[in-house]
Amino acid sequence: MSPHLLCILIPLLPLLGFVVNGLGFRKVPTSLVGIVGLAGPVLAFLCVCLLWGNFHAGNDAVIKTTLFDWISVGEMHINFSFQIDQLTMLMLGIVTGIGSLIHLYSIGYMNHDEGYGKFMAFLNLFLFFMLLLVLGSNFVIMFIGWEGVGLCSYLLIGFWNTNTSYNNAARKAFVMNRIGDLGFLLGIFTIMTTFGSVEYTDVFEQVVGMDVNAPVILTITLLLFVGAMGKSAQIPLFTWLPDAMAGPTPVSALIHAATMVTAGIYMVVRANVLFSMAPLTLDIIGGIAIATALLAASIGLLQNDIKKVLAYSTVSQLGYMFLGLGAAAYTAGMFHVITHAFFKALLFLGAGSVIHAMSNEQDIRNMGGLRKSLPITYWTFLVGTIAIAGIPPFAGFFSKDEILAHVYEHSKVLWALGLLGSAMTSFYMFRLLFLTFFGEFRGTDEQKHHLHESPLSMTLPLLVLAVLSVVGGFMNVPEVLGGHSVLAEFMSPLFDQARQANPALFEANALDHGTELMLMSISAGVAIVMAVVAYVMYVRNAAVPAPDSQVRSLPQQVVYGKYYIDDFYDRLIVRPVRGLGDAFYSLGEFVIDAVVGGVAWSVRSSAGVFRRAQSGSIGLYVLLMVLSITLFIALRFFNWKVFN
Amino acid sequence: MTFQTYDCLQMLPIILLSLSGIALLFLGFQKSRALLLPATLLFLVIAFVANFLDWGKTYMYFRDMLLVNNLAMIFTGVVLLSTFMVVSLSGSLADDEDAQPAEYYAILLFSLVGAIMMIGFENLIMLFVGVEILSVAMYILTGSDKRNLRSNEAALKYFLMGAFATGILLFGIALLYGATGSFVLSGIGNYAHSATNAGGSMLLFYVGMFMLLIGMLFKVSAAPFHFWTPDVYDGAPSLFTAYMSTVVKTAGFAALLRILSVSFSGVYDFWWVAMAVVTVLTLLIGNITAVYQASFKRMMAYSSISHAGYLLIGLVGLSQASKPAIAFYSLAYSLSTIAAFGVLMLVARNRPLNAAVFGDQTTLARTDEHYDAFNGLARKNPLLGFVMAVSMLSLAGIPLTAGFWGKFMVFSAAADRGAVWLLVVAVLMSAVGIYYYFRVVIAMYFREGQTDTIRVAPFYRIVLIAATVLTLALGLLPNLFQGLI
Repeated sequence: MSPHLLCILIPLLPLLGFVVNGLGFRKVPTSLVGIVGLAGPVLAFLCVCLLWGNFHAGNDAVIKTTLFDWISVGEMHINFSFQIDQLTMLMLGIVTGIGSLIHLYSIGYMNHDEGYGKFMAFLNLFLFFMLLLVLGSNFVIMFIGWEGVGLCSYLLIGFWNTNTSYNNAARKAFVMNRIGDLGFLLGIFTIMTTFGSVEYTDVFEQVVGMDVNAPVILTITLLLFVGAMGKSAQIPLFTWLPDAMAGPTPVSALIHAATMVTAGIYMVVRANVLFSMAPLTLDIIGGIAIATALLAASIGLLQNDIKKVLAYSTVSQLGYMFLGLGAAAYTAGMFHVITHAFFKALLFLGAGSVIHAMSNEQDIRNMGGLRKSLPITYWTFLVGTIAIAGIPPFAGFFSKDEILAHVYEHSKVLWALGLLGSAMTSFYMFRLLFLTFFGEFRGTDEQKHHLHESPLSMTLPLLVLAVLSVVGGFMNVPEVLGGHSVLAEFMSPLFDQARQANPALFEANALDHGTELMLMSISAGVAIVMAVVAYVMYVRNAAVPAPDSQVRSLPQQVVYGKYYIDDFYDRLIVRPVRGLGDAFYSLGEFVIDAVVGGVAWSVRSSAGVFRRAQSGSIGLYVLLMVLSITLFIALRFFNWKVFN
Repeated sequence: MTFQTYDCLQMLPIILLSLSGIALLFLGFQKSRALLLPATLLFLVIAFVANFLDWGKTYMYFRDMLLVNNLAMIFTGVVLLSTFMVVSLSGSLADDEDAQPAEYYAILLFSLVGAIMMIGFENLIMLFVGVEILSVAMYILTGSDKRNLRSNEAALKYFLMGAFATGILLFGIALLYGATGSFVLSGIGNYAHSATNAGGSMLLFYVGMFMLLIGMLFKVSAAPFHFWTPDVYDGAPSLFTAYMSTVVKTAGFAALLRILSVSFSGVYDFWWVAMAVVTVLTLLIGNITAVYQASFKRMMAYSSISHAGYLLIGLVGLSQASKPAIAFYSLAYSLSTIAAFGVLMLVARNRPLNAAVFGDQTTLARTDEHYDAFNGLARKNPLLGFVMAVSMLSLAGIPLTAGFWGKFMVFSAAADRGAVWLLVVAVLMSAVGIYYYFRVVIAMYFREGQTDTIRVAPFYRIVLIAATVLTLALGLLPNLFQGLI
């Protein structure tokens, strides 16, 4: 098949699934819903594989497919077109591959739910928009996808919409994303006015000749990063992501861990030429990233909800990805996106399996000892934990280590802070693992009675993801360990323009092998030590986190209360805005009432003339017409100056 | 007169429509009326296809009487499509004892011949003939509801006012001929160019031009020549109101666009202020009066006046961009208006007004066309509610509908000419428009009412859905249509 046709088929297939399941909701039989819902992503994945072959056969040359000229305004043409390059291929692989696995999982997880068909339809729709986001060849198509995934995220977080707090969580996610989207949108507008185009290739070509840190580039990159902050949950727009766990667990795995939340990283890597021309922005990104990584990791230390721990972990890992981008290590950032997609999807799906077995119990204080009854879940979860903690040779080790190595070149302080975050990651993840799967069962007898391993449709994705989490790191083994940095070589053409535009940024003093090995052993060592600490605390000493009612020490209380950021936002922003809204409302009512009343009064008093004019009397109509004709001609010819 | 064979063949739409109109009259002798509607639709489809056979070519026919080019074909396509939709909404005529569908359809087809002449005329005589063919047909159709006093009154009123306007139009043509010695558009245009350069008095020419323009402005119901519109649109049967407010308006604007751009573009400075004043008046009167209507149908009459105002903006900003802008606007406006009238007819059909409430004879034959009739419509009839809502959004010019791009295109044509103050008025008036268009939407979705499920014939339903889908498609992909022009 021609690559152009494949490009079109890839997003179209999930869309078809959405149309069938969406329009036929409650009419399509339950047995078919799953097949239809799964067919779209799986076929799309096959198309991606074929496309990969095509792409490779064409010597990795960029493939562009223009569907049609979408909007033409003056000199501006916005095409509805797709662009296939290395970055798109990687994202396509993740989105359709992991997407297929999670769709399969959802069949097992959701098929007893009343809204099963709706759920699969939304999931398909999400996939469509996500594919649009990564396929688009200009910022506007990316924006459509960007908004679309936001919409699906909203719909799926509030999927169980009879629960008010779930709805509030959905609304919070939507509003916070809107703030980011505004930044993104302003960024696109600035790009339009500056470059007269939104097409990636056109824009990036023009950037190459500009000055480093030019004000307009800084403005654009900062605005784009505001968009990334919203979608990828960075300080200050991160609080929506933990709340987003209200959605069904497959949603958390697909949208809020593996794909959508990495859209911000994708965008920065996509616009790497722009960002490379703005080192100042990169520094800001690095600062925000490390703050986010540490803050979220520290909150994760004390959380007791299995999904909340994973959510904060996601925020923290996203921070790591941006940390890499901040050091201009775009490949490392993308590498972590890929491996994170493997192990975080695995962990979420594992958590889903646990929740499924525990009859919707999410508090790890009520779990324990589950490894006997859920062996597959346990082993795969263990693999995921090792991977995320950064213990070699699992996937997370390679990607996180690459980021930290690049950060070390950049700034040793940032590296040290990154290492601290890594230590916390290892600790809270093993804490989660031990509290959930080791020790004695702490739940009710009824729950114990129900404990069961999940069906094959749920464990199969776990197994596949576990294998990927083990071997995923080998795609980019650094030279020091005898690898060839395959991924880095593959992605290298993406950064040609950036290197040309701002060579200084990439001239960082490469680390010698000794330093690199030392850094690796330090981070691996720290991760292992923290795992042991967690083992001692929660398995040897069998400590169980205190119930909510217990009084905590002040620092503990602050961390447990998530640094009170939500309350802070509530006091500082939500309530004042609401107050302002109320004030405007009452003032507006008053002013508008006055204006409307005034207008109504004047219309009523002048309506007499109008009404008399529209009396239905033909004689009057003709008279009025003659008068107006006379008036027109008279004014035009005898008093020309009135008009001119 | 030398007729060449290709002359006749290429003028297919006009010839086909005339012949099929006559054929329909014969079909009318049959007892069964079942064939009439499909036959009319078939004829329209054939004419539509024949219209586009010459795509990409420019021909002058009948010794420089008529011009056919891409723009003319587009406008012809729009009126044929509008007629097709109006006719397909007329299924209930077959069951109406008092109605004569064969005659109605024949008259519609004949009137289309007039509309096509107005679109492609190169000679003022053809303009006049076209206007008259179209107008006379409209007078008859307005009065087609013979038992209904309001329909009769409207027809007579329309006829008297129309005759008056025709007089002025003819007067203008005569004066122009007197000044320029030509009926041909390009001849008049050449005169305007050379005479302005030569200096000297052009009084005769200017008065003629104004008379001609006023005659045409009457036909498109621009203020202050709009007085007939509300009464006539309100009194005529809804089906023909839909036809009048779309086909007649499209043809009228195509004619205005043609004569302004070919003959009078050389004296733009002379007429544009007057046209701008007419535009502002039309926008103000159309929009503000529409707010105070209790009847949906009467609101639509004022809405059609206000849309004439938006289309006039495209003329005031006369340029190459005006042509696709006005064509696109006409299409967008026609689609939504016909869909809205389609829903109105369904809603009003089974709701005769209680005569006791109004107490006079004239209301006996009236159906309820007030906003209240739409209360709660969307609950029981989600499809009709959606169709109506999309139409209203498009008429109000909300993005993602065709109406938004129509407005955007005419506005940007005027902005290129620097007529910013005109745009300010237009945008403010669009805001007013949202008020009265959304009243229907609110009534349908948020009010309680005892609407029953309305039975919609399958074909009727398809046409409504097609209009809605097309409105949305043009809103999402305006370039699909723009690319054609």
